[in-house]
Amino acid sequence: MVAHDYRVPAGPTGAGIGLRTPHVAEILATRPAVAFLEVHPENYMGGGQALAALERLRCDYPLSLHGIGLSLGGLDVLDTRHLARLARLVERLDPVFVSEHLAWSVVDGAYLNHLLPLPYDDESLDTMCSRVSRTQEALDRKILVENPSRYLRFRHSPISEPAFLGELARRTGCGILLDVNNVYVSCRNFEEDPHVYLHALPMDAVGEIHLAGHSMNDVDGRTVLIDDHGSRVAEPVWQLYARTLERRGPVATLVEWDTNLPDLAVLLDEAATAQRCLDAMRSRARDAVAA
Amino acid sequence: MPSLRELESSFGRALLGEPEAALLDLIAADGLAPAARLRIYRNHVLVTLTDTLMATYPVVCRLVDERFFGYAADQYIRAHPPAVPCLVEYGDSFAAFLAAFGPCQHLEYLPDVARLEWAINRALHADDAEAIDAARLGGVPADRIGSVTLSLHPSVSFLSSPWPVDRIWRANQPDADPDATVSLDAGGAQLEIRRLSEDVVFRSLDAAAYALRTALARGDSLERAAEAAHSADSGVDLAQTLQQLLSDGIVTSICVPSPFTHAAGQC
Repeated sequence: MVAHDYRVPAGPTGAGIGLRTPHVAEILATRPAVAFLEVHPENYMGGGQALAALERLRCDYPLSLHGIGLSLGGLDVLDTRHLARLARLVERLDPVFVSEHLAWSVVDGAYLNHLLPLPYDDESLDTMCSRVSRTQEALDRKILVENPSRYLRFRHSPISEPAFLGELARRTGCGILLDVNNVYVSCRNFEEDPHVYLHALPMDAVGEIHLAGHSMNDVDGRTVLIDDHGSRVAEPVWQLYARTLERRGPVATLVEWDTNLPDLAVLLDEAATAQRCLDAMRSRARDAVAA
Repeated sequence: MPSLRELESSFGRALLGEPEAALLDLIAADGLAPAARLRIYRNHVLVTLTDTLMATYPVVCRLVDERFFGYAADQYIRAHPPAVPCLVEYGDSFAAFLAAFGPCQHLEYLPDVARLEWAINRALHADDAEAIDAARLGGVPADRIGSVTLSLHPSVSFLSSPWPVDRIWRANQPDADPDATVSLDAGGAQLEIRRLSEDVVFRSLDAAAYALRTALARGDSLERAAEAAHSADSGVDLAQTLQQLLSDGIVTSICVPSPFTHAAGQC
């Protein structure tokens, strides 16, 4: 398989937020200073007020389309109608990023509305490579693929997740959307070291970072972390983010919040924290050059 | 090790039903029973899809209470999981499901309330389309006007119910008078649901207007739609009923069949 050269837009390198319906009116009215807005394209594939608001916002903000419906790791026939609708939306909104997940969600005709886990082996890798390539061909652009949060591992899974993502990027030319919270959640759930994970990831392929809150849940007496996107980013995740930036350099960073949605001000405050990390990174880089 | 297809198929069945032993054998325990790990995924699927249905059917949820709604939604999701990843399009068969769902058979009006909520949801997310200038119908030759068909805006749909579903819906809005009651004997409703500017609206139509518009929405010619309107109300003022349709801004195209082929042309 030969990696194609797709158009890679020069994206923002600041902090953005996930755009959620209850915040839209306030964002339209106050136009807060964030580097970009990210939405799930599945919510904008018809018409009406949601799409109209997005059309207005795209005049002032770079947009990012973060898909959840392509089931790139699935084996049901690739949903060409959905892909065509995504392609139309990409053409209409001209987003800076288009991303999807290292996961599957459709089987036997049912869309299960979850990012379901793959065994990391050659068959999964071939499946992902084929479907990422077909998606990039249909959109005529590079996509970013995100590491999911995981609550189970398959016994047969001989490739590590970062190595799997690295090979996927190498074979298809796709980029990696690194969700630092998901790295933390998955590693904690399997008693792995998140720093080892990050070290194994090809940082030059990382085109965007995601941050979000997670919850700690008791499941049959064992603590399981779940990335419910329902709280502020946890302190250990901020630390992991700072370490990531040291290796990767400044990169577009998104704060996601989906459940227990707070006032917009709280979400903007989280984005401002990410922006301060990015700014500190830049000034350290400048100092290093000056020295 | 089964194929990836077999693994995913078994995983899917476990999320909508019970896990098979062969699937559990594939999952590493990592200090927690594989079945418990699968339940984390299943809970997410059922909770988020129930939330989706609740967001689309808030009045149904209010009428039966949240617990019963959750019970019905759980049964519905397992039997009718989404077929598409756009969740605003999920739940179109929920009204039919409720009509056949034993525990709420006594709420005879409930499926029609669900149909109204589905029509509202559909209108909210329907594709955009421009209304045409009504004057264009005046340019159609008189001998062909009867065979014209019209396309209505994608957001438009119609609902006929023997129950006062419009009043039930209004009485169950967050800002409604909490002491208001609706008599089920208040009569039925023939409603048109559509998007107006960016908001969804619905209203009652008289019998002739309802017959004319539903016939046109089915693809009937203007002549057949006019006959339907006349059957519904023999005293109908057809010109006025048609004029009202054109001035409502919901006609998005006029199709004049060719006089030679009687097929759709000049659309």
